[in-house]
Amino acid sequence: MAAYGEVTTARKWRWGLIDLVVVVVVLIPVLWIVSLSLKTPETLTDGSLIPREWTLDNYRSIFSTGLFTRALINSIGIALIATAVAVLLGMMAAYAVARLDFPGKRLLVGVSLLIAMFPQISLVTPLFEIERVLRLFDTWPGLILPYITFSLPLAIYTLSAFFRQIPWDLEKAAKMDGATQAQAFRMVVAPLAAPGLVTTAILVFIFCWNDFLFAVSLTSTEASRTAPVALSFFTGESQFEDPTGTISAAAVVITIPIITFVLLFQRRIVSGLTAGSVKG
Amino acid sequence: MSVVAAILLDQVSKKFPDGTLAVADVNLEISDGEFVILVGPSGCGKSTTLNMIAGLEDVSSGDIFIDGERVNDRPPKDRDIAMVFQSYALYPNMTVRGNISFPLRLAKMDKREIERRVREVAHILELEPLLDRKPANLSGGQRQRVAMGRAIVRSPKAFLMDEPLSNLDAKLRVQMRTQLSRLQKRLGTTTVYVTHDQTEAMTLGDRVVVMRAGRVQQVGPPQELYDHPINLFVAGFIGSPAMNFLPARLTNGKLHTALGDLPMDDRMRGALTSAERTSDDLILGIRPEHFEDASLVDEHVYDTGVIFEAEPDVVESMGSDKYVYFALDVERAQARELEELAAETGTELTTGGLQLVTRFSAESAASEGRTVRVWVNIDKAHLFDPDTGRNLTR
Repeated sequence: MAAYGEVTTARKWRWGLIDLVVVVVVLIPVLWIVSLSLKTPETLTDGSLIPREWTLDNYRSIFSTGLFTRALINSIGIALIATAVAVLLGMMAAYAVARLDFPGKRLLVGVSLLIAMFPQISLVTPLFEIERVLRLFDTWPGLILPYITFSLPLAIYTLSAFFRQIPWDLEKAAKMDGATQAQAFRMVVAPLAAPGLVTTAILVFIFCWNDFLFAVSLTSTEASRTAPVALSFFTGESQFEDPTGTISAAAVVITIPIITFVLLFQRRIVSGLTAGSVKG
Repeated sequence: MSVVAAILLDQVSKKFPDGTLAVADVNLEISDGEFVILVGPSGCGKSTTLNMIAGLEDVSSGDIFIDGERVNDRPPKDRDIAMVFQSYALYPNMTVRGNISFPLRLAKMDKREIERRVREVAHILELEPLLDRKPANLSGGQRQRVAMGRAIVRSPKAFLMDEPLSNLDAKLRVQMRTQLSRLQKRLGTTTVYVTHDQTEAMTLGDRVVVMRAGRVQQVGPPQELYDHPINLFVAGFIGSPAMNFLPARLTNGKLHTALGDLPMDDRMRGALTSAERTSDDLILGIRPEHFEDASLVDEHVYDTGVIFEAEPDVVESMGSDKYVYFALDVERAQARELEELAAETGTELTTGGLQLVTRFSAESAASEGRTVRVWVNIDKAHLFDPDTGRNLTR
């Protein structure tokens, strides 16, 4: 009998098969939507995975009106700003959490985790009321603020795990070598924490980019409507036209940046998520 | 012109927020170019003292002067001292050159001058072929040298070293110890060196400061500490194998011990009459080398000591001499300081009676299980007060 953990041929095949099933189950919907986006309206419902007639009309049409383009710009702008602010604030908070012992530290970490766990749907109505009063409703800041709020705990958590891995001696050494606190941070700590910063930025960006709930409840016009919401508002040119093709095309388009990011940085993301749990 | 101490600690104390007193009333004057060792068991406050000199820890009370200037409120960068850490603390994102030149770059030194100094330091420490490597690709000894290089490159007023050799393997440690000593002599820079290893303390320092529970026990040249320890703690801490401690009772002008009734010489008698003590119970301290196989001792020195018979428990031949262990069936000497020392070395777990460690000449024929006659040099023995731990015969 094979010892535990030993890789035998049978074992390899079994796991390979299970992996394959999982990958197929996950990828079929994605392939399906790509296929739909490339079909003509007539062949849309033919049930075939491989389109019988190939067309890029759906892609042309989503970019023809400017509505989707505008939503993409909103999405990119809002997600980038929210990410930048969240990572910056998260970096400072995480540094403090990792390095300093201050009264209420556990409480701070606890509360920030609580925020991350809070059901967002229950906050939608109060946020809506607050933003209406503050005139933030249907503006960029109106979305950026809640995004920062909900992604900060994640940022603090991952970044503090990274900071904790950096030996404190390095900072002390930098100070002994003549660096100010700021120089020690900039020249020694930050370069070492860079992978953590990148990981956190990507995770926060994905969170902001994918959000639908806040985006649909806190926007009303194209002034701030993001791509996932715009997509749900797609209708056919007439009431008899089925928007499935265009929705599919838009769905494919908004997936591209995420897939690109993840492919580029997948190693980093995995090590970022497991940092602290293994070494910290 | 008055001579200003390179580093002066005036009644320096450190109290941590949780109330523990890590360092208490330390007074220390280190002169220019001196190599001073702070030694003691873990938690004795030696590293905290070093960190206070460095400026990495605040001073709770007292003053620290460097070159005559009070530096209590100065950040580390304005004290002009360099530090070598136990972990070396090399910047992993920089090459060896980057690491060594880091302090100079921070000081905004001219590029050519930086290059010249880095080359010079690399030459002294034999790091030239490694300048473009990252710390991850260096061996332990090489990393240690880079850490040294980073410290000496800007010619600071003083070096502070926090157990710089303790991460090296035994052989390399001995080698680096000699190199370090040579380097310090060559540069002539004031050095404060922290270690828990009494061998390093004995071999490296011009002067050794023995600390215990935040307090300085004794300050002096290594030999003085070895020959005239001020109390049980210093006596037991300095020297390897450690000094033997035997319970002794003063009766009728003789010392009643497990080795027999020992006569007292004038030195002891004088010490006992002049010193204040609480009872006739004493602790006798004898170093291993003050025992000898009686058959190898010249007749005419017999009188300076006494002879007893015992059966060796274990005999370890070191080549140059023999360590002979005797298990004596008596209680071990009891004193708080001895318990602390035992806890530090882990020997408090050994049960049973007293273990006597002796060092015989290599020619001795002593072997396990065969009774030998052992000669003890009473001249060099110490008497301690078990209550205060004080050495009465110093």
